[in-house]
Amino acid sequence: MDYGNKTLADALAAQYVTGTLRGGARRRFEALLGGHPALRAAVADWQDRLLPLTGVLAPEPPPPQTWVRIQQRLWPELAVAPLPWWRGLAFWRAASGLATVAALSLGLLLGNPPGAQPPVVVVLQSTGGDPAVAGSVVASFSADGRAAVARPLARVALQTDRALELWWAPVQGKPRSLGLIKSDGVTVLRAGQLPGGLKGSGIDHLAVSVEPSGGSPTGQPTGPVVFYGKLQL
Amino acid sequence: MMNTAPEDWSARSRELALLLSRAALGDRLAFKRLYDLSSGHLFAVILRIQRDRSLAEDLLQEVYVSAWKAAASFDAQRAQPLTWLTQIARNKAIDSLRRAQAQPRLETVHRAADDDRPDLDQQLVDESPGPAALLERASDARQLGHCMEGLSAQQRQSVALAFFDGLSHAEVAEQLRQPLGTVKSWVRRALAALKGCLERAAQSDRAVGA
Repeated sequence: MDYGNKTLADALAAQYVTGTLRGGARRRFEALLGGHPALRAAVADWQDRLLPLTGVLAPEPPPPQTWVRIQQRLWPELAVAPLPWWRGLAFWRAASGLATVAALSLGLLLGNPPGAQPPVVVVLQSTGGDPAVAGSVVASFSADGRAAVARPLARVALQTDRALELWWAPVQGKPRSLGLIKSDGVTVLRAGQLPGGLKGSGIDHLAVSVEPSGGSPTGQPTGPVVFYGKLQL
Repeated sequence: MMNTAPEDWSARSRELALLLSRAALGDRLAFKRLYDLSSGHLFAVILRIQRDRSLAEDLLQEVYVSAWKAAASFDAQRAQPLTWLTQIARNKAIDSLRRAQAQPRLETVHRAADDDRPDLDQQLVDESPGPAALLERASDARQLGHCMEGLSAQQRQSVALAFFDGLSHAEVAEQLRQPLGTVKSWVRRALAALKGCLERAAQSDRAVGA
């Protein structure tokens, strides 16, 4: 066949783009495209004519897992790294299950590498110090006490110019700040503010107070203590 | 969100062209953005042809896997990315229909005529516009109404069924209960009318632009 023939090229290209050139015929046609510029040009013309007509279709967002699967197929080396122990849903589920118990700490084995010590969890219960604040806050320390995260189990409603500040305190003596924590999510506490190893750290309890948005101006709790929990090792 | 106007198609394609050229160099973030901007359209194109949602999702994955691998061969001078992607999506969707046909089909169960329950067919009525309605909309958007006037409703229907729903000539013939040869000539005539009309429209666009 003379694929340089314009009429023939045009007719085949029209069928190809319309979608009526099927199966083996289409594959033969596609194989020919590489060597026949006239065919390619005819296809490009028909694509420019017809394919924009698909713009009348209302877009249909694909489900989120489609992109995840595309990534897995293209870049398998990205195979999702295991989440840090405190990001795992199971962890927070377990923690919220415990929130009904009064101040409580325990070790949880949540897929930690073999030999790793389980984290220490402190559940701080609402004190009623502010009637608007309820629920609990979970603070969780790595066994070596060098890393910690805290999170309210439910979003805490605060005035816009107020923030939550987390404190630790010995049996006797002044509380020390562990920094501001988010009222609606996980806060990773800054290692510099942690007391180091939990055993012998002297931590007796943790507390959360309501402070001005920048944190306590005095270095000591100035607002009501709204959550309180004992550390038990 | 409708994006029927040709200038709109071109504008979206320009943005996609940049992302596609970056994807060709291995930029995964650019590729993700390309996906975000085009996947809704391509999924709609596929679903129109392949109605099985889970198959359609698989096909959409394949489209983007192919697009990533072929990004380097995409020639922005010669083609618009949205056009290129749409062609890939359509080919895969049409191929999937052929594969599905090779498998046994479920027989349609006809209920007894005296059954007074509401007709199941009517309960499951497809809310999406029919192919002829889509063609009409597309024609309106591109002011092609006058090209279509010369065609009979069945001629318009035949090209719309083939183009939007991915039906083969034989399937169109079956659906319209017409001989295959007749349907083939209708499709050919409808395409010729569209072509002439679009070329005239492009010429007048150029005249206006000049």
